[in-house]
Amino acid sequence: MLPRSMTIMLTTLTLGLTTLTSGLAVAAKGPALKPGNEYMVVANYPNQMQVLDLQTDTLYKTCDMPDRFGPGALQVAPDKKTAYILNNGYEDIYGVNMDTCEVTFHAKMAQTPKERTKTLYAFALSYDGKELYAVQNPTLMERDHYVVQPTRLAVYNTDAGLDAKPVRMLPSPRLVTAMQTGKDGGLYMAGADIYKMDVHTGEYEVAVPSRNWQRERYVQPDVLNVWAVQTPTKDFTILYTTARYQKGSEDLNTADWIYGYFNINLETGATETKDFGPLTEIYFTGTRSPKDPNIMYGVLNRLAKYDIEKQTLIKAAELEHSYYCVTLNQSGSKVYLAGTNNHVAVFDADSLEHLKTIELPGGDMSTTTAQIFVR
Amino acid sequence: MKNFKLPRLTGGFLLGLMLPTGAVQAADAEAIIQTKCMACHTQEKAEPLQMSRMSHQRKTPEGWLMTIARMQVMHGLEVTDDERRTLVKYFADKQGLAPEETEGSRYAMERRLNTMESFESTNFEQMCARCHSGARVQLQRRPASEWKHLVNFHLGQWPSLEYQAQARDRDWIGLAFNEMVPELASNFPLQSTSWDNWQKVDKIPASGRWSFSAHMASKGDIRGVMTVTGGKGDQYKVSIDGEYADGSALQGSGTAIVYTGYEWRANLTVDGVKMRQVFALSDDGSELTGRMFEALHDEAGMDFSAVRNGSAPTLLSVQPEYIRAGSTEVLTLVGTGLGEEISLGEGLSVVNEVYRDENKVVLQVTANTTATPGSRVVSAGKAGGASLNVYNKVDRVKVVPDFAVARVGGNGGSTPKYNAYFQAEAWMNGADGQPDTADDMRIGYLPAKWHVEAFNEQAEADRDVHFTGKMNAKTGVFTTAAAGPNPERRMSTNNAGNLKVIAEVMDGDKALNAEGQMIVTVQRWNNPPLP
Repeated sequence: MLPRSMTIMLTTLTLGLTTLTSGLAVAAKGPALKPGNEYMVVANYPNQMQVLDLQTDTLYKTCDMPDRFGPGALQVAPDKKTAYILNNGYEDIYGVNMDTCEVTFHAKMAQTPKERTKTLYAFALSYDGKELYAVQNPTLMERDHYVVQPTRLAVYNTDAGLDAKPVRMLPSPRLVTAMQTGKDGGLYMAGADIYKMDVHTGEYEVAVPSRNWQRERYVQPDVLNVWAVQTPTKDFTILYTTARYQKGSEDLNTADWIYGYFNINLETGATETKDFGPLTEIYFTGTRSPKDPNIMYGVLNRLAKYDIEKQTLIKAAELEHSYYCVTLNQSGSKVYLAGTNNHVAVFDADSLEHLKTIELPGGDMSTTTAQIFVR
Repeated sequence: MKNFKLPRLTGGFLLGLMLPTGAVQAADAEAIIQTKCMACHTQEKAEPLQMSRMSHQRKTPEGWLMTIARMQVMHGLEVTDDERRTLVKYFADKQGLAPEETEGSRYAMERRLNTMESFESTNFEQMCARCHSGARVQLQRRPASEWKHLVNFHLGQWPSLEYQAQARDRDWIGLAFNEMVPELASNFPLQSTSWDNWQKVDKIPASGRWSFSAHMASKGDIRGVMTVTGGKGDQYKVSIDGEYADGSALQGSGTAIVYTGYEWRANLTVDGVKMRQVFALSDDGSELTGRMFEALHDEAGMDFSAVRNGSAPTLLSVQPEYIRAGSTEVLTLVGTGLGEEISLGEGLSVVNEVYRDENKVVLQVTANTTATPGSRVVSAGKAGGASLNVYNKVDRVKVVPDFAVARVGGNGGSTPKYNAYFQAEAWMNGADGQPDTADDMRIGYLPAKWHVEAFNEQAEADRDVHFTGKMNAKTGVFTTAAAGPNPERRMSTNNAGNLKVIAEVMDGDKALNAEGQMIVTVQRWNNPPLP
C-alpha cells in the first residue's frame, strides 16, 4: 500500500488532471447540428451523449455529461435543440444544448438533503417544451431508518437554469415509467393503467386501462416499458403481453398468448388497445412504422416485424446480441436498434437486411432511449 | 488509515470473517456500540443497554454479520474486523434464535443453495422469496414496527423492486405494509416462548471427542473422530481425523466458535482445502449436526452428524446403508459406545468382526438369498438409532437432485464456478410392485455412470452439451465452463444451457437409467452468507 502522503499527492495530481481535462473539454464541443438534417441521440458509459448523423449513419459528435451515468434515458425538446437526460443514478435530469454540448438545465430530483429521490424513467416535456414533468419516488433518510414517501409529479420550467426547482408538485400514482404529453397539454403516464393528468390541478383519469382493463376472456396484461420513444407520427406506443382464454374456458394451458400495444396519438388524443401477434418471444420495445401504421417492429433477441391486422409475424432478423430499444427514421425506411453494448445497428425497414453497425466511443448504453429527430 | 473493505462479499467465504480472535465480553461490544453506532442510533436505555433498531430484532450469526457488514458498506460504519466479530458474537448470543426457531430454515445457513423452497403463503413467496430465499426472512424475529422499517428499507434502497414482475401487477406497497407486516409479525415475532426458555437453559460446552458420520456426493460415506478443545469465550480448537469409504484419509484442523449456545461455526483446512462447518449442537449437548463444505466452492459439501464420546451409546450410521440379499459385504458401524452384541435383523449374519474401537465396528456381513427386502433396525449393544436396507433388486433409480442449478465462473472474473453434484438413489417398489407408493423402500446411493444430454431442441441447436461444461462419468460432478460472453456461441452468449443429467446404475447385469435436469446459468453476483 502507498504511504499516506503519497496517496494525497496522487489525489492532488488526479484533481489537477481532472481540471485540465474539463478545461480541454470546452474546446471539444463538436459541430452544431444542421437544421433540416436528421439525427439520433443516445447515451452511454462512461457518461456521454452521442449524436449520430442519419444522413450518413455515422457518429456526428460526443458530449460529455456531468456527474455519473445511468440510466441515460432521453427526451428531445420540441425545438430539437435540447436533449434532456435522466442520469446520475436516476437522481438528476439535465438539459443539454446539442449544438454546444453545454448543460443548460439541471434539476435534482431530491427536494431536501434528507431525501433520496429517484425517477424511474418517468419524465417528459410539455408539448411546447416550456415545462418538464418528472414523477419522483422520494425516500426520507432518517437517522436510523428510511421512510418511503408518496410519489409526486414535479413540474419544472425548462428555462430555470442549473438549479431548477419545481414550480408545482402534485401527488402522482405510483409505478409510472414512460410519459408523454398530448397536444391538449394532458400528461399521459404509463403506470398500472395509462393515466392522463391535468398538470395544473393534478387531477387524473384512466386514459387507457391496463391492469384494470375489461376485455372478455383476457387476463390482466403485463406491461413494462421504460423507453418513451418519441415518434414522428406523435404516437406514444407501449407493448403488453397477455393471454386470452378459449371460449367457455378459464384454463391458461389452452389460452392464446398474445402480444399487443396501447397507443395514444398525442396530437388527437385517440387511444387504441390492439393485439398484433402471438407471444412467442419477448420484445423490450415496439414501434410502428411511420410510413405504414399496420407494421409493428419489436426487438430484444431478434428484430421482428408484424402485420398488425393479420396478427402475423412477417419477418425476423437475427442479431449479434440483444438490443433494447427500436426506433425508425422519419421516412420509415430504416430501423435503428440501440441499448446494450456500444453498437447502434441499422436495418432496412422493408427487408430487415442488416445495413450497418455504428460503433460508439465508450461503453454500454444500458437502458438509454434512442431518439430520432430532424433539427 | 483503517478502512473497511469487503473484498469478496460472497457466501461461504464471508463466513470466515465471523470467527473472533479473542474472547468476547459483552462490555466490549457495548463499548463499541456506544462509540461507533451513536451517530445514527439512539440510546433508549442505559441499563441494560437498549438501542434503537438493533435492540428490537433477533437473528442468526449470519444475519447479524450481514446487518453489520451492510452498515459498513452502505452507511459508513467504521469498525475493525475484530470489532465486527465482537458485535456479531454479542448480538447472536443476546438476540439470537432458539434452536427450534431455526428448524426448517437451516439450509440457508448451511449454504445448500440448490434447495427448492416452497411456502404455504403465496404472498410470502411472491413478496419476500421472489428476490432472496424465504429462509433469510424466516431466520429473523421482529415486532411489527421493525418489519415495517424493513419494508421501508427495501423500497427505499431498491426503488425499482415494485416495478418488477410479480410486483407491478399489484398494489405492492399497500400489500407490503397492510398484509405482509402483520403476517410477518405474527409468524416471526420478536417475543417468543422458545427464546425465553432457551435463554434460561444452561449452555453446554462443545469440548470433547466426537465420533462423526458424513456423506458427500462424489465421495460417498465418511467417518472419523473430531476432537474439540478449549471453550474459553465459546472458542475452540478443532481437529478431524477420518476416512472416506475407499479408505483414504481425511484430516484437518482449525478453529470454531459457538454462538447462541448451540450455533457451531468452524473454519478448517482439510487436506489443504479451506472448509467451513455449520452445525447445531443438540439441546443435551450430545450431538452436532449440519453441513461441512468447501469455503470457496460451497456446493461441495457433506451432510455431517457427530455424537460426543461419553454420551449415551448411539449408532449414527451403517456404512454403506444397504446390502443386497445373497451377498457378503463389509459394513462399518459408526457411533459411540458400540457394544459387543451386534443385531442386524432377519436374514443377516456377521461372518467376521474385522475391526473395533470406541467409535466404529467393521464387520463382514452376509445377507441370505432369502432375506426379506426391507429396512432393518441395527444395534451394537445398547447403541441403536441407525438402519440397514436389505434389497434383492433395484426397481428404479432417481437422480438426486432431480433439478439442479450450476453456474459458470472463473475466467478472470470475481466469482468462482458453481459446479453440480449428483447422486443415483436406488429404490425398490415394495410389495405392491408400484413405484411412488407408500410401501416403496429407499435403498441408498449406488455407484453410477454419468453423462449429460441436451434437454430439448433448443439446447441441441445451441450445442449446450459442448459449451456448458464437463460431467465426470464416475463421480457425477459436473464442472461448469468458463464465465463471460463466448464469441463461438449464437449471439456471443454465456456458456449457459439446459441439460438432461443421466445416470446408469448396474444391478447385476441389468442396467437402470434415471434422468434429472440441470440448468447451467450465469454467476450469482449477489451472494451474501444467507442467500
